[in-house]
Amino acid sequence: MASNIKRLNRGSTRAYLALGAASLGLLGAASLWARPPFTEAQIADQQKDLLEVVNKGRDLWHGSNPEMSHNGLACGNCHPDAAASNPQTFPKWVPQLNAVAPMRDMINWCIVHPQDGKALDVNSSDMVALEAYAVYLYRGQKLEPGLTLPTPADPVKSGVGFPATPSGIGVDR
Amino acid sequence: MSDLNDLSRRRFLGLAGQTGLATLAARAIGFNLGLVEILSAATPKITPFSFAIITDSHLFSIDNHKFDKSLADAVAQVNALSPAVDFVVYTGDIAQNGREDQLVKGKKILAGLKAPLKVIPGEHDWYLDMGKAWNGLFGKETWSFNHKGVHLVGLNSILVKDFWTGAGLTPVQRMGVMEMLESPIAGPWGVREAQLEFLQKDVAKLAPNTPVVIFTHSPLWDYYPRWNFQTQDAPQVREILSKFDHVVALHGHVHQTIFNKIGNLSSAGSLSTSWPWPYPPVKLEYPGSQMNQSDPANTKDGMGTQTISLGAEAGGTVQYEPFANSLTPWLKDGVKV
Repeated sequence: MASNIKRLNRGSTRAYLALGAASLGLLGAASLWARPPFTEAQIADQQKDLLEVVNKGRDLWHGSNPEMSHNGLACGNCHPDAAASNPQTFPKWVPQLNAVAPMRDMINWCIVHPQDGKALDVNSSDMVALEAYAVYLYRGQKLEPGLTLPTPADPVKSGVGFPATPSGIGVDR
Repeated sequence: MSDLNDLSRRRFLGLAGQTGLATLAARAIGFNLGLVEILSAATPKITPFSFAIITDSHLFSIDNHKFDKSLADAVAQVNALSPAVDFVVYTGDIAQNGREDQLVKGKKILAGLKAPLKVIPGEHDWYLDMGKAWNGLFGKETWSFNHKGVHLVGLNSILVKDFWTGAGLTPVQRMGVMEMLESPIAGPWGVREAQLEFLQKDVAKLAPNTPVVIFTHSPLWDYYPRWNFQTQDAPQVREILSKFDHVVALHGHVHQTIFNKIGNLSSAGSLSTSWPWPYPPVKLEYPGSQMNQSDPANTKDGMGTQTISLGAEAGGTVQYEPFANSLTPWLKDGVKV
C-alpha cells in the first residue's frame, strides 16, 4: 500500500512538472495552483523514506560498505556527526580536485585517498545516501558555496550530556 | 620506590649493553638527580625536566598500515629530541578495535623508545575484552609516581555504565559501539568510584605546593560530551586536586590542540598520530588554542607528538611537535600550562 502511494506520489510529481512546463506560457501561473496538496499521511510517508536513506547514509558513513575502504577508515573517522564535511558549501572549488565540484566528487576523493577504497558510482544509491546523511545533519544552515573553513553539523549543545531518547542519527534535539 | 623508577632502572640496566658511554653518563646523572629530589620530597622543589606524550595511534590489524608508520615516526621524533626526555606517557587508543594483535603491534613499535614509557588506556583499547589484553601487556591502568619533585598520576577515564549485558551484545558489538565517537548508545564515561578513592589516598599526604601532573584519556573538563570530550566525574577529580597550588592535566582522545583552565587546573589536549578530529561546535575560552585546519591531502597534517617541560616555577610548557605545519602563532612558542 505504502509503495503504491509512493509510486503515485512520484508519478503525480512528474505529471505536474510536465504539465507546469508545457502549460506555463499558455495558461499562466494559476494552473499550478490547481495542483492538489499532498496529504499529511503522504508527506509523513515521504519523510519516512528520506530518513531511511539518511540512516543508510549514516551506516555507510561509518563503514557499512567494505568496498569504500581498504584500510579500515570510514568517513566518520574524520567527520563525526558529519562535522567539517560542509555540504552547504558545495559545489565549490576543491583543491584536491583542482576544479569546481559537487560534494559527491569530494566524497569519492575521500574514499579513494584517505580510505584507500573504490570510488562509488556518483549516481548510486549509496552516494545519494551519503549525501542525504550529511545534508540532513546540516539542515537549516545557510547555503554558502565556496566557504572553506570547517563547519559543524546541526549544533549540539555542549555540557548537557546525552539525549534521553537518542535519535540514532546524530541529532540531540 | 615508584613504578617509574623501577622501570627506569630496568631500562637503564638494559641500555648499558646497548648504548655508548656518553649516553649512559647523561642518563645516570638525570636519574640520580631524580632520586635525590624524591628523597627530599618534604619540601617539593623541581629539578627541571621534560617528558613527551604520544597518543591515539588507532592501529588496525592490517600489515604495513599507514598508522603503523605514523606511530614509528612519532617514536623517532621523540627519540631525536635534544635534550632527551626523561620518560614518555601514552594517553590511550593504541588500538582501533581493541584487538590484542593491535595492542601487541603498538607495544612493539613503542619499544623503540629510548626513554621509559607509562601508558593509560583509551576506549578503543578496552571494550573488546574489558581491558584484559591491555592489562596483560601494559599492567595496571591506574598509577602514580614521583619524579624530580613532581607527582604524576595516570587514571583510566573511559569507564561507561554497562550498556551491553541488558542488550545482549557480543564483545565485538560492544566494541563497535565504543568505536563510534558520536554513538548515542554508550553515554558519558568517567574514572568512577574506585579510582576516585585511589586518587584521594594517593594525594592525601602531599603538601599543597607539590606540583601535580595528571593524565587521562579524555579531558577533565566538560568540552563536548556528545563525543565524550569529557570525563563525567571530572568535577570530583578536580575537587580532590583542589588543595594543590597548581595542577597540570594532560589528555588524549580529542586528536587536536586544545587548552583550558579551571581554577588551579590547566589542561591541554594532544595531537594524535592517526587523524585530526574537527573542532566541535563549542565556543572556547581560549580560541587561539585551535590548530590550523588540516589538509586532507597531506597524510601527516594535524598529527604529531608533544613535549612537556616542567621548570622550577609552577606549571610548565606544552610544546606541540606536529609532523606537518599545523601550528598557529598562538601555539608555536608552546602553551603555558
